[in-house]
Amino acid sequence: MSEHDVDTRPMIETHDVRKIYADGKVAALDGVDLSVSAGEFVAITGPSGCGKSTLLSLLAALDGPTSGTIRVGSYELQHLKNADRFRRQEVGLVFQLHNLLPRLSALGNVEIAMMGSDRPRAERARRAQSLLRDVGLTDLSDRRPTQLSGGERQRVAVARALANDPSVLYADEPTGSLDSRSVSTVLGLFERLRTDHGVTIVLVTHDVAVAASADRTVHMLDGRIVEP
Amino acid sequence: MTHFSLVIGNIWAKKARSTGIALAVALAVMTVVTLTVVSNGLENAAAAVLTIGKADFTVAQKGVSDILYSSLDNGQVAQIQSTPGVKSAVGVLLETERINAANPLFIEIGIQPSDLESFGVTILAGTAYGPDAPNEVMLGWRAAQDLGLHVGDQFKANGTSNTVVGIYSTGISYGDLGAMFPLPALQAYNRVPGSVTLVFVKVVPGLSVAKVQATFEAAHPELTTIRTASQFGRADRNLVFLKAAVTGSTVLAILIGAVIVGNTMLLSLFERTREFGLLRAIGWARSRVVALVVSESLILALIGSAIGVGLSIAVAAGLESLPQLNGVLHSSFTAEAFWRGLVVGLGMAILGSLYPAIRAANLTPVKALSNE
Repeated sequence: MSEHDVDTRPMIETHDVRKIYADGKVAALDGVDLSVSAGEFVAITGPSGCGKSTLLSLLAALDGPTSGTIRVGSYELQHLKNADRFRRQEVGLVFQLHNLLPRLSALGNVEIAMMGSDRPRAERARRAQSLLRDVGLTDLSDRRPTQLSGGERQRVAVARALANDPSVLYADEPTGSLDSRSVSTVLGLFERLRTDHGVTIVLVTHDVAVAASADRTVHMLDGRIVEP
Repeated sequence: MTHFSLVIGNIWAKKARSTGIALAVALAVMTVVTLTVVSNGLENAAAAVLTIGKADFTVAQKGVSDILYSSLDNGQVAQIQSTPGVKSAVGVLLETERINAANPLFIEIGIQPSDLESFGVTILAGTAYGPDAPNEVMLGWRAAQDLGLHVGDQFKANGTSNTVVGIYSTGISYGDLGAMFPLPALQAYNRVPGSVTLVFVKVVPGLSVAKVQATFEAAHPELTTIRTASQFGRADRNLVFLKAAVTGSTVLAILIGAVIVGNTMLLSLFERTREFGLLRAIGWARSRVVALVVSESLILALIGSAIGVGLSIAVAAGLESLPQLNGVLHSSFTAEAFWRGLVVGLGMAILGSLYPAIRAANLTPVKALSNE
């Protein structure tokens, strides 16, 4: 492809991805083919143990596939030399259990994601403050996670995920431990990210209502995608 | 937020763990610094003997365990005197004696009155003793001041009463804290007739001291020459052994301390598995995680080292005030002692934290995040 050609390929593309755990008996993923366009919001649903979270961890380069190919943007993950840099530069992660560091303030929890980047300290602080404003937590930036509600914590986690301007956002059951009001707030944030910033979102959920807010739902069963 | 503020925050958040590590470092540093300053003090005291005669170099018997056990006879003194390039060679007998509780190692110098001038002795009061006077003594002005004695007073030493005939100065405080006796008298008191401990040599002006020293050593392999405190070990094996023991203790302190630091850091790693997993998941490089853990350990080591040095000053002062060591032990706090303390503290921290840091950096994010 020449430098003037536009890359029309999907943002995320997997082919025949398998993940077999060390004992060789459990195939968490058994030949997954998935394609997600740039700016698309895809929800992955399925029963517990079907491989949703495993797929998400492979897409985020938190783990490697046993076989198959995974491409995210221009990165071929099975050949990735520096997974840390890929995650830092391209990926935002939101977990069910927000995973905030308890001894840091909300601001510190957002800023810490940028500590490996080239941004100067002052800019990191400015950006963290700006992201907290975007998620509606300006006045709570100096609070620690224990001083925040579940919904507020998850909004801090979203702000952290966006700290390095990721091209894709992966969320693993981000609303699993939230009340319905907080669920709406977090989903609203995702929608804004997609429409305002063109971020590609892949969300894993059990919740049919949450999945309904996505552009497309992919259903998994026994390590395979059954309803593309 | 900076790397430093993050490190300080982490240290502050785990006060018990941090205190434990800092305390382990402090105890190791205290031990090493105290041993170092004590051995430095002993070395300085021993080497001070050499400075009394203001010689270009001093000759002693080779390989003795303590320089005061060195023994040279009159014939050797004469040979030294006749060595080309030697201007003067003064044979001196050195002994120590417990005078009272405040002076457990009072220095006694046996020297012929004819050698006093070339030895750099100035008579401040009274006169010099006679060459064969059996019960005459000169006191250094500091010793006379400490003992409250004057010319004409009696000074008990070597089991007999001696008349103080003069007060002298050598210009060297160690020499001025002792007493001088006629050489034959001190030899007789100590039953070493015809023997001296050291020979203080002055080289003919204009000649190279180092060349004369080298020529002398080549001609007299049974003897050794000492020009600086660092060459003291040539004639005093005890000091060499003591310094070797201090070095060995330093290495041991680093190793034992590293195990304690490593164990504590490893426990901390288990507590913070999710945290490290998260940092790796959000893109922290392994090197950054290693730097975080090692930095925490280094900051604690610096704090522990400062506490350890403070403790060593208190311990050294306490040791000096013990009745058994009063007047014997003079701690010498040198830059080397502090550097050694710092090396111990930082060595413990780096060695102890490296393995936990590498383990933290190599945690698989997925597994670490699922850790309960």
